[in-house]
Amino acid sequence: MSLVNAELFKVRTTSLWWIMAIILVPLYAASVLVNWANANITTVPDDAGVTDTQSAQIEASLQPINIATNLYTSGQYFGVLVVLLLAAIIVTSEFFHLTATTTFLTTPRREAVILAKFGAAIIIGLAVWLFTTVLNLIVVPLILSNLDLGAQLGEPAVWRAIGLNALAFVLWGVLGVGAGVLIRSQIAATLILGITYVVGTSAIGLIFFLLSEYVAEWINNLQVIVPTTASQLMISGTDLPGSPPQWVGAVVLIGYAAVLGFFGTWLTKRRDIS
Amino acid sequence: MTAPGTDEIVVDRLTKQYKKLRAVDDLSFRVRSGRVTGFLGPNGAGKTTTLRMLLGLVTPTAGTATFGNQRYTDLTDPVRKVGAVLEASSAHRGRTGRNHLRMICRAAGLPDTRADEVLELVGLTPAAGRKFKGYSLGMKQRLGIAAAMLGDPRVLILDEPANGLDPEGIRWMRDLLKSLAADGRTVLVSSHLLGEMQLLADDVVIVAAGKLVRQGPVDEVLGDMSGGVQVKVRSPQPEQLSAALSELNATVTPTADGALLVHGAEIAAVGHAAFAAGVELHELSAERGDLEQVFLQLTAGKAGIR
Repeated sequence: MSLVNAELFKVRTTSLWWIMAIILVPLYAASVLVNWANANITTVPDDAGVTDTQSAQIEASLQPINIATNLYTSGQYFGVLVVLLLAAIIVTSEFFHLTATTTFLTTPRREAVILAKFGAAIIIGLAVWLFTTVLNLIVVPLILSNLDLGAQLGEPAVWRAIGLNALAFVLWGVLGVGAGVLIRSQIAATLILGITYVVGTSAIGLIFFLLSEYVAEWINNLQVIVPTTASQLMISGTDLPGSPPQWVGAVVLIGYAAVLGFFGTWLTKRRDIS
Repeated sequence: MTAPGTDEIVVDRLTKQYKKLRAVDDLSFRVRSGRVTGFLGPNGAGKTTTLRMLLGLVTPTAGTATFGNQRYTDLTDPVRKVGAVLEASSAHRGRTGRNHLRMICRAAGLPDTRADEVLELVGLTPAAGRKFKGYSLGMKQRLGIAAAMLGDPRVLILDEPANGLDPEGIRWMRDLLKSLAADGRTVLVSSHLLGEMQLLADDVVIVAAGKLVRQGPVDEVLGDMSGGVQVKVRSPQPEQLSAALSELNATVTPTADGALLVHGAEIAAVGHAAFAAGVELHELSAERGDLEQVFLQLTAGKAGIR
C-alpha cells in the first residue's frame, strides 16, 4: 500500500492533476448538454434511411430508462480519456523525467512498482468516476424532470449502469498503465492514445460500417472488440437490439486490461534502466 | 580470499554485452568498508554500466555484483542498506526538492521528517520548497546525495558526484564522504577528476575498455607506478648537496627550476644527509606520484570511445 501511496503522491506533487481537472470540467459540462440534447429527440424520422436493426436500436435508446442511464453516466467519454492519459503518464513520466532510476532504486522489485501504478491508476479512475457521478446525481434529476421522465433513481438499471461506469473507469486506468509501459515516450504515448481514442473509434466504426454494408452484416457485431465500443456497450442501460449482451463489453475490456497489464509488467522486469 | 563482510561490494566476473559492444568485460574487484574507493576510468570504460548492474538497473550478461552475498534486488530493505547517486538530473522538473525526497520516503516506508533531516545535512533547506527545474547543477548533486542518505545506508555509491560542484561544494563533499567512510561505511565513487580522487580516495579501482587495469590502495598504485615516493629538495649549494646525497643509495635528478628530485630514499634520510654535510636547505618535501600520470600510463592505448 505504501507504494500506491507513493505513486499517488507523485501525481499530487506535480501540476499534472489540476491541468487535467481544468480540461475535464468543461468537457464534462459539454457531455451533459449533448446527452440532454439527444434525449430531446423523441422519434425516429421515417425517411432517415436506416436499417431495421438501427431503427430498433434508436427506438430502444429512446426508452426513458436508456435516456436515464445515458445521462447518469455523462462524462464517461472524456473522463475515461483523462484517466487513460493520466494512467499512461504515470508510467511515461518516469522515463521522461528520468525518475525511473530513483523509483527502481527505491523499489528494486519492478513488478511491485508496476502493480502500484495499476493501483494508483485504479484509484484515479474511481476518483474521476466519483466526481462525474456526484455531479450527475445532482444535475441529471433536474434534466429528467424537465423532460417529464422523473428522476429514475428507483430503477436498478440506472444503478447498474453507474456501477458498470465505475468499472469502465477502472479498466481504462489499467489499460493506460499498460499502454504507458509499451510506449515509453511520453509524447508518443499521449498522442497515440489520445488520437486512437478520439479519432480511431470513429475511423474503426466507419470501417465496420462499410464491412457490414458490403460484406456481411454480422461483422458489425465484432465492433465490440474496439475498446471504446466495448465500454459503451458495457454501460448501456438495457441490452440493445442487434448488439452483443452487455457482459461481452466487460469481458472485452477486462481482456485488454489483463493482456496489456501482464505484458507491460513482463517487459518492465526485463528492461535495462539507463 | 576471505569471505566478504556484509557491507563489502563484490564484483565477480561481471560482463555486459550489448549488441556490438562489450561494455564490461569479465570485471572483478572488491570494495572494502571503512574506506573511500575511487572507481576510475576514461569515458566509455564501463563505469556507469558496472554501477547500474551493481544496483539492479541493468541485467548482467554474465557474472555477479553483490553486497555481502546479496544482489541489490534481493535486499530486503535496499534504501536502508545502500544509497546511490547516479545522475544529477533525475528528478521531475515540476516537483519541489522536499517532495522529491518525501516521494522516496513514502515508497521506502520512511517518515516524511527524514526528508527535512537530509536536506539539512546537505545544506539545501533554504531551497527545499523550490521546484527542481530552478536548481543549479550543484544543488541537483546535493539533492541526489540527500536522497541517497535518506535511509542512513551502510553503503554509498556515487557516479561522478563532483560534476557541477563549485570548489566549496567539492570540499564539502570530500569531507562528507571521508567522514562517512570513517564511520565504517563503504563508499564507492566513480570519477574522472583524478586530482580530486587523489585527495579523496583510499583505494582505487581503475578500468579501461570494460576491463580491470589496476586495483589497490592509492599509495600502492602510485608507488608501484612511479617507483616509490620522491623527495624534492632545494639548496643554494646544489653541488655539495648532490655529493652528500650520493652517499645514499638513491638516484638524484635535477629539475628545470634548480631543485633536486631524490628517488629511493626517505625524506628523513635526505634531510639527515644534508645536515651532516652542512648544506643549507630551502625546501625539503615528499612528493607523491601523480595519479593523473599513473592513470594515463595505465590506460594508454585503451581507446576511450568504443
